[in-house]
Amino acid sequence: MIWHIIKKQGLLFWRNKQQLILLIALPIILIAILGAALGSGFDNESSPIKMKVAFIEQVEEQDQIEQFLTDLQEQVPSGVVDEIKSNIDMMAPITNIKAVLESEEVKEFLEITYMDPSEKSVIVDDESYTAIVEVPEGFSYDVLESMVFNNVISPTLLITYNEEQQVGTSIVSSFFTQFQEQLTLGTFLGEKGIDLSAIDYQEVNGEVISINEQKPVSASAYYTIGMTVMNVLFLAGAVGYYAYYEKEINVFNRIIMANISRWVYFSGVLASGTIFAFIQSLIIFGFSWLVYGIRFPDILDFLVVTVAYSFAIGGLAVLLSALNYRLNSETITNFFMNIIATLLAVLGGSFYPIGDFSSLFQTLGNMTPNGAGLTAYLTLLRGEGIAGISDNLMYLVIFALMTVVVAALCFPKRGVSA
Amino acid sequence: MIELVDLTKKFKQMYAVKNLNMFIERGEIVGLLGPNGAGKSTAISMLSSLVEPTSGDVRFENNSILKKPAPFRKVVGMVPQNIALYTDLTAEENLLFFGRIYRLHGKELERKVDEVLEQIGLTDRRKDVVKKFSGGMQRRLNIGVAMLHDPEVLIMDEPTVGIDPQSRNYILETVKRLNEDRNMTVLYTSHYMEEVEFLCDRIYIMDKGNLIASGTKDEIKQILSSEKTISITMERLNDEFVEVLKQNPQVNRVTTGEKEVTILVPRDANVFSEIIRLAESTGIELNSVDNKTPTLEDVFLHLTGRALRD
Repeated sequence: MIWHIIKKQGLLFWRNKQQLILLIALPIILIAILGAALGSGFDNESSPIKMKVAFIEQVEEQDQIEQFLTDLQEQVPSGVVDEIKSNIDMMAPITNIKAVLESEEVKEFLEITYMDPSEKSVIVDDESYTAIVEVPEGFSYDVLESMVFNNVISPTLLITYNEEQQVGTSIVSSFFTQFQEQLTLGTFLGEKGIDLSAIDYQEVNGEVISINEQKPVSASAYYTIGMTVMNVLFLAGAVGYYAYYEKEINVFNRIIMANISRWVYFSGVLASGTIFAFIQSLIIFGFSWLVYGIRFPDILDFLVVTVAYSFAIGGLAVLLSALNYRLNSETITNFFMNIIATLLAVLGGSFYPIGDFSSLFQTLGNMTPNGAGLTAYLTLLRGEGIAGISDNLMYLVIFALMTVVVAALCFPKRGVSA
Repeated sequence: MIELVDLTKKFKQMYAVKNLNMFIERGEIVGLLGPNGAGKSTAISMLSSLVEPTSGDVRFENNSILKKPAPFRKVVGMVPQNIALYTDLTAEENLLFFGRIYRLHGKELERKVDEVLEQIGLTDRRKDVVKKFSGGMQRRLNIGVAMLHDPEVLIMDEPTVGIDPQSRNYILETVKRLNEDRNMTVLYTSHYMEEVEFLCDRIYIMDKGNLIASGTKDEIKQILSSEKTISITMERLNDEFVEVLKQNPQVNRVTTGEKEVTILVPRDANVFSEIIRLAESTGIELNSVDNKTPTLEDVFLHLTGRALRD
């Protein structure tokens, strides 16, 4: 029976072209408009944030390494010197920083310019730079010395930030803080007598790159997700409207008179909401994939999020239907479509990244079903797996179950005549 | 077969139905008559187990359908006053969907859909979406859906509202045929006296939630045995003429139409000369003065002082 309710709902959607356009074409148009107007174009490879960083070395690192090795020969046996010499490339801090800065992943969002110390004053006045990284005199020498002799000296890079670029400043700061931690780790290992050659360079490199793994999301990708999760909310309203329409024209009474349990009908609305939300999401994401090349790294993870979000929408559809029946009015659906859905879209971050606001705002946003769905999709798009979105998935499922329980409590016991 | 016992429905302080007692025997067509707002729809909603009564009971084969509605629902077909159809689906899709909810499957379902489409005269339009149908065709399909599972009892709530005379006749003939050919029991509610007179064996008349008369057509018309109805038609209605009629001691009731006045007078009263005199004194040019056979409409007028469609 539930299948026939779903099939009937599908036919009703299919025959109502105006509604189909609103549910499918509208989000696609909005994605195009918002992506173009608010983002950095539709180049999927481009990052919404590109930061310029100036890099200034006071003294060439190679000179410091040679000086260090010369001094080392006077203090340790020649065998140890030979071993350090063979690993010196992996130990040289500036060489490692440059290797990371020039990697393809970092180049996507960091533009590094190597400058002469004499040019610093010019760069300070140039507001296009997010930060100036200065390698102080003797930095590499001190790092190597602290690694080998467990010195307490803590060599530090000098970084000057452009406070007017807060987002970029935060990213650059986080990037170099992590690098500094790698240096400290190296020193710590040295302190504990661990063979430096045993340090897996790739592992260290991987840690440094961990911030790079949070791939930037293009504007078109962001608004594809934002508009999809928002417009799927309207589908819940549409299903709720149809359920109320069935009550209004006494079709619901016919169903009750046919000895069909109200729970079967109720389940039919839930299943219809879930399935058609799923189909709507697939169509919009499919379009974005074909036209803008927006694709999720793992299709299975994407489907898991889509099912969870669609289930939440199904729950919302049942709740709206039950409230309409209980209040004997479609006011609830109209209020949801005209006010609540828009409010949820704003709170959930469909129009602007909520990550840029306060943590309270972010928490509130993630407590909306669309916000939780959006965060989950964005996290997947940045390269994380299911483990990284377990909270969002859990929230969506709990939200769906709660709406179903509340709807069940509201649903009328008999028919709805008179 | 079906019994309504002291059935009452109260909405806040207002009685929609008050102490309604009715019975319906197998194979008869029973009319439930009354103006809009009389309580007919509420009564049949309670009878159909869709609305819980404030007090009283509904029994089917001596079992309360309020406690166990399933056996009754299985044998009843409901034709609601509204068009309870999906107007964006075709006639066939509607019948297939509602057939499925009545647990019909496969070939049996297809056969029933064909049979019902034939009965309601829509076989040629089966693939058309319902919203393209005329009001009469939609009404016929509305009835067809209720007949899909071969019900023993058909409850029809004003099934001919707002349709053309041709479709109306078609529906009335269909109901008559179903009763004669299949011994189908029908409860027919309407505020059209002529429909009830044409179809029904017995009649219940409701007004303002109360049952005001019941019996066979002849029994009900006997209520008017002491009175007769006179219809007066004229070129243009005159308020002064109506007023003097109302004040005449021989006239019991007066109702007015566009160019017609109907009066109830004692059966042995000779009022023709008096009517002509009153017309002359008020400047009215009469077209006709007829002594009418009493109708159910006249009975309702006699009982309530109002016309059914007031």
